[in-house]
Amino acid sequence: MLRKLWNLFIGFTRASNLGFGGGPALIPLVKAEAVDRYQWLDDQEFTDSLAICNALPGPIATKMAAYIGYKIAGWLGAFVAIIGTVVPTVIVVMLLGSLIMKYSNSPALKAMLQAVRPVVVVLVAVTAYDMGKKSFPVASSWGIAVVAVALLYLSNIHPAFIIVGSMVFGWAVYGRTKKET
Amino acid sequence: MVTQLWDLLIAFTRASNLGFGGGPAVIPLIKIEVVEKYHWLTNAEFTDALAVGNALPGPIATKLAGYVGYQEAGWLGALVANIGVILPTVLAVILLASFLMKYSNSPVLKGMLKGVRPVVVVLIAKTALDMGIGSFPNLTTWGIALATVVSLYWFKLHPALIIVISMVFGLLVFR
Repeated sequence: MLRKLWNLFIGFTRASNLGFGGGPALIPLVKAEAVDRYQWLDDQEFTDSLAICNALPGPIATKMAAYIGYKIAGWLGAFVAIIGTVVPTVIVVMLLGSLIMKYSNSPALKAMLQAVRPVVVVLVAVTAYDMGKKSFPVASSWGIAVVAVALLYLSNIHPAFIIVGSMVFGWAVYGRTKKET
Repeated sequence: MVTQLWDLLIAFTRASNLGFGGGPAVIPLIKIEVVEKYHWLTNAEFTDALAVGNALPGPIATKLAGYVGYQEAGWLGALVANIGVILPTVLAVILLASFLMKYSNSPVLKGMLKGVRPVVVVLIAKTALDMGIGSFPNLTTWGIALATVVSLYWFKLHPALIIVISMVFGLLVFR
């Protein structure tokens, strides 16, 4: 148990403190820890956790930490994973805020951030691709995706509603058939 | 002091729990509370705070809460503001997670998850696209992207390592 908690703490500290661009940029790093390294979740479970997290408001990184931490080691696990995600950067921003402000326009920092941005974009895109591999078992899955894209780009409907709507659709269409995939 | 802490708690709870789409979506709501409603920071100070937050890794909403809370009411302020940002949504997510674990064999839940997975893929792909806008100002940045794909799939490098390498590269090449 102690080992699990320690791994949760380390895994989420590492994911959070190497991710630039806010919570969504951390998703690939959380996946690298939770799915690839520690195998707390498989690809599909990871996608499910993201569905739950995206259906709720607020920052995404702390919700993922809570979800995965709770699944692995209960309340204490959730607590430890959140501490790993939040505390190191919050303390730095509090104590060194005024110092960093001096350097936040420095060419060196700008150069580093310019180089890391394409990496983050690729990592997030790859995460989408990895999750996609097992998320389209039937033809209607593609239909759902097309409808989701259309709603996202052509209407002002909130993504949370698209998530809930697709779950209701899944319940009605897939939920009653005996066959499971 | 107590009113101040209470205001911090309320302001950050409200901002966090009305913003969907992760920390970056919460930023405008935090700005409304911090700049327009409570006048803890001026517009320019908020922009600076955001620049500091973006210079550091990790989730953005908690860094802003830490920064503003600490400026206003010290350690306790930072703690209270972060509780506002984190706690309500975390409790909700744990409630849903326990529900999911308990009924993981129910066909109804399986059907719901099967329905939602394509949507999640679309949402994450959209996040990548949105982040991509403005991230490729020159040809070198495309080279970095290509090198990232190669490092991930051929060399199986850990993403964190690729991030560190790219930053060193940027320091050497873009400055």
